[in-house]
Amino acid sequence: MRLKQPIIAIAAVSAFTLAACGGDGTGSGTGSGNDDQPDTTQGGNTGQTQDPDREGPVTIDGATEGGTVTVISTSGLNTMDPTEAYYQNTTSILTGLVTRAWTQYAYDEENNTMVLVPDLATDLGRPNDDFTEWTFTLRDGITYEDGTPVEPEDFAFSAARSFDREAFPEGPAFSNDYFVGGDTYKGPYTGNGLKGFDAVEINGMDVTYKMATPFPDMLYWASFAAMGPIQEGADSDPEKYRLKPLATGPYKFGKYVPEKSLELVRNPEWDPATDPARTAYPDKYEFDLQVEEAQLNQILLEDSADDQATLTYDDVLAVNFDQFKADGRAAVGSFPLTSFWAPDYTKITDIKIRQALAYAYPYEDADLAGGYIEGVTSLPGAQLLPPGTAGRKDFNPLPDHEPGSTDTDAAMALLEEADAVGYEVKFLYTKDSDSGVKVKDAIVASLTKAGFSPKPVPTTIADFSSLRADPDTDINVRSGGWIADWPSGGSWFPPLLKSTDVAAGVLGANYSKFNEPDIDAQMKEIQTLPVEEQADAWGELDDTIMTDYFPLFVTRYGGVAQAYGSAIEGHFIDNTIGMPTWKNIWVNS
Amino acid sequence: MSSGLSVDELDGPEGGGEAERMADETQKTSQVAGRSPTRIALSRLAKDKVAVVCTGILLLLVLLAVMAPFICDWLNIYPDQKDPNAPTPSEMLETGGIPSFGPPNYPFTWDHPLGIEPASGRDNLALLLYGLRTSLTVAVAATVASVIVGVTLGLLAGYAKGVVDAVLSFVIDFFLSFPFILGALALAPIITSRFGGDQDTLRRAELYSLVGILVLFGWMGLARLIRGQVLSLREREFVQAAQVIGVPTWQILFKELLPNLVAPIVVAVSLSVPAYVAAEAGLSYLGIGLTESPSLGKTVDSATVWFQRYPLYLWAPVVTIMIMVIALNLVGDSIRDAFDPKTRR
Repeated sequence: MRLKQPIIAIAAVSAFTLAACGGDGTGSGTGSGNDDQPDTTQGGNTGQTQDPDREGPVTIDGATEGGTVTVISTSGLNTMDPTEAYYQNTTSILTGLVTRAWTQYAYDEENNTMVLVPDLATDLGRPNDDFTEWTFTLRDGITYEDGTPVEPEDFAFSAARSFDREAFPEGPAFSNDYFVGGDTYKGPYTGNGLKGFDAVEINGMDVTYKMATPFPDMLYWASFAAMGPIQEGADSDPEKYRLKPLATGPYKFGKYVPEKSLELVRNPEWDPATDPARTAYPDKYEFDLQVEEAQLNQILLEDSADDQATLTYDDVLAVNFDQFKADGRAAVGSFPLTSFWAPDYTKITDIKIRQALAYAYPYEDADLAGGYIEGVTSLPGAQLLPPGTAGRKDFNPLPDHEPGSTDTDAAMALLEEADAVGYEVKFLYTKDSDSGVKVKDAIVASLTKAGFSPKPVPTTIADFSSLRADPDTDINVRSGGWIADWPSGGSWFPPLLKSTDVAAGVLGANYSKFNEPDIDAQMKEIQTLPVEEQADAWGELDDTIMTDYFPLFVTRYGGVAQAYGSAIEGHFIDNTIGMPTWKNIWVNS
Repeated sequence: MSSGLSVDELDGPEGGGEAERMADETQKTSQVAGRSPTRIALSRLAKDKVAVVCTGILLLLVLLAVMAPFICDWLNIYPDQKDPNAPTPSEMLETGGIPSFGPPNYPFTWDHPLGIEPASGRDNLALLLYGLRTSLTVAVAATVASVIVGVTLGLLAGYAKGVVDAVLSFVIDFFLSFPFILGALALAPIITSRFGGDQDTLRRAELYSLVGILVLFGWMGLARLIRGQVLSLREREFVQAAQVIGVPTWQILFKELLPNLVAPIVVAVSLSVPAYVAAEAGLSYLGIGLTESPSLGKTVDSATVWFQRYPLYLWAPVVTIMIMVIALNLVGDSIRDAFDPKTRR
């Protein structure tokens, strides 16, 4: 999943490769409600809890209908085509308010977590024994905003659409990775219509997806907007559909100026009785995009009569957070983001030097300089798997190192042991971002104190990702971030640490250029294990990799600190994605 | 103001003292033969209270900028974290980036008279002094360079007739019509990415490219002015005499014409320095100026989001830029008045 916009040093990439372990249906949640601090045990708990029997309609006690919710944000919406929406904001707005898919997440206020429940399907899907076939049954009486009924064939078309990497370069590619024909079928626009597409079989109201590789996580992929129904025809042409996707959910597109503003108005065709999670109390949503950060904070801080029904899904400025908290208008929560520093495994070959870096990194200073709020938008940790991920093991690869603390003396001692005092550390920073420069200053100061010779390499926000993705860039440390698409170790280790063909210029998200055939073999083995054993096996692998090889170290886990006006109710954090719980929002007039 | 010099001066509504001074000056001029216009102007300047006060302020600012390293040493403050003794952000700031000492949450402390910068924990006074240094360096360098370019091209264009003049005039008009901000936005990243290998090269590249951009879009006004002056001077008898007796062209340009152009050049210089100071701050504010050196404009940019909680952070650089630009402008105005024989005084 991608962040709302590329952020310096994080610029997270999509987790779109192999994922094999599924949620096991056991809810783990000792949540604390919508407290001032995010629940640090939940970050990776991206909807492991499931409830296949939940039915609509949903009502909220005391909620009143009506009102207009204004949403302000500094970033634009890059594309609203359901097949291509893969940023935090686009995905969550579409699935929360506009388009429906097979499954969806519902917010559980008691445990402060998300529960996977059916949406257009009557259950959470029925796999065969080896997870190579998944069948979903469409509910009766579902229609699009124009009144035409949703047909099972529309799911076949959307599945075919999700294969088209050329028409939708930014969309998630799970269909290509798992479905039958993923390597041959090119999609309806790049290829020859639906010719050659045989991954979907329709039988009455039953839609069956056929996989080339076992895909136990299909029920999560089925919650993406890309898996919702899309009618074949001229209306769903990519150029057109990105401006006006047909709504099946409670709201449809009104006036939409790409990257600038979006108006969502009621969709009278939506029937709450068919929907186990969505409510639709506000009459209208107005998205005001590309608002200056200082202005956005000011609007929410002042909370004047006109702006009381306003909310934002951006993090508020650290300086204002105390004020929002005191006013009781802050929504905090965590989401499965791990930010890390990845020393180049082929250049920094001595594990002691990599460990010394972890001691020398200025966690606190970098948080302050980068505008993070310690304990809220930045949580310390040592494991690659964020808290809450199934099977996550409690361990510390550096027993003497308190996660999130800096110890330059210990780093110096390790460097002396490795006979590498004055070791040159080259890393990228964005010189056109004020916080990027300040974070760089903090890192340089701390590494120098620890006995390294830091050589920051300036680049721009625009060039950062491509320079980082080029294995030949003259740097020996890369900073990265990763957001899981669903709660499974399989969406973390293979994309981040499976060896890639660096010689051919392919780095992928393996920022540390990690290359250990033994670990590759273990990953392969885990993916063939019985599903219920996989979670713990990933947790073990985390321990093995970090303790024995230490290819990267965690700089922070992600959290969000959003704010809303005094008339907004039900703005909690969807911890699968770090966005507001759209389905629960209402206006208190 | 421009109509009839003598009438104006005589009928001026000024008080007796002023009239007396004027009379005194005319008398002196007639007594001391061959007193140069520059000396007249300087003596007029010395009597201009505004000019004297503003010059004093400017000298103080220059002194502060020059002495910045010593002042910082003396006060034990650091403009960055390069010094091993410099405090780290976490030593100076609380969670959320608010300073742990001084304003806005704690009483004033002499350790950090202007407070601490949120997010980085650097001292605001040190940043201000070094920012002043950068500002003045850039402004002076850009002024000197654009004067050299402008005067040379203006002299050439005015003195040479025909094709050379036509081409140079076209170039001048071309650059005048080119939008400055657009050019700066396009050029700055290209230059810095071309030369920005590491931090130190980047810092130098940024400085040079900023000066370069300011000069590139700043020399035309003066060139035009000089060209116009030369066009009329070149037909005067002393130039024609020099041409007749075979004085080489470069000598005519630099020995005969240039000394007659001192007044417009001085005026142009005095007015372009404040413009460059403001331009440097403006470009750095937009993020296309300096990123590696302390800069007042950059501080203003970082401080805007903090204004409500921590106004001092924004006020310090803003007031400094304001005082500097106003003082430079007033001095510039006074210089222009002093050099302009038509000014009513």
